[in-house]
Amino acid sequence: MEFLCPLGFVLFFLALGFFVGSNVERSHFRDLERRESLHRDFLVTQVDHFPFRQGGAKPPVIVMADTVIACDYLKAFLAFWRNLFGGEVRSYNRMMERARRESILRLIEAARQQGYNAICNVRLETADIGGSVVSPQNNRPAMAAIQATATAYVAGMPSS
Amino acid sequence: MIVTNTESIAGYRIVALKGLVQGNTVRAKHAGRDIAAGLKNLVGGELKGYTELLTESRRQAMERMLQQAQQLGANAVVNVRFTTSAVTAGAAELYAYGTAVVVEPEATA
Repeated sequence: MEFLCPLGFVLFFLALGFFVGSNVERSHFRDLERRESLHRDFLVTQVDHFPFRQGGAKPPVIVMADTVIACDYLKAFLAFWRNLFGGEVRSYNRMMERARRESILRLIEAARQQGYNAICNVRLETADIGGSVVSPQNNRPAMAAIQATATAYVAGMPSS
Repeated sequence: MIVTNTESIAGYRIVALKGLVQGNTVRAKHAGRDIAAGLKNLVGGELKGYTELLTESRRQAMERMLQQAQQLGANAVVNVRFTTSAVTAGAAELYAYGTAVVVEPEATA
């Protein structure tokens, strides 16, 4: 009976991941879509100059956003099995996608709050805060840490 | 002080180069955050503590960079880049660097 106890925990955590984790993920994706549709008119570019820049507007400013998303137990479990057979780890794909989209949205929201209507030179980087690069053996849970940077400016939108 | 991560600043002209400026900070996560993160890793979702940690460290590194730029007599920093490096398992370094310049507004036609 004793050996069933850890197994019970594992099953409980898997269920937690399955029910709570996927629910959290779904509602995050819904939230991302809602906010993205709010900012459709915002000009986001990845080039390092200033398209449609309005002359005489206030000076450009750097904007930054960070997002760290944790994976759930079920995802880690699935990824472990995927590791044995190789192939695409879809659950982690979605985790990275969430962190990136959230970061870009936060850039847009930060820029908008300061009265800008465009950002350019968007850069996305991953940060290693779990320390999995320096000590890969310590088997920390996976997480996606994305740092986004861009320059906000005022664009005279081409009339549409 | 105008700070951008682009090479130039629209509407401004670079009139003098002051050289590379940099700032860094090594931050350790405190144990409370680690425990909270451990719990969050069961159900997924955002690790707000870590997000704040990253944002704080970025701000700190940038502040140090701006101090240097000010000492050099610059009024803008262009092409700012951030990198992180994991120093040990418990701590991460955030490094900000850019080019300090003196700019003046372009004569608007």
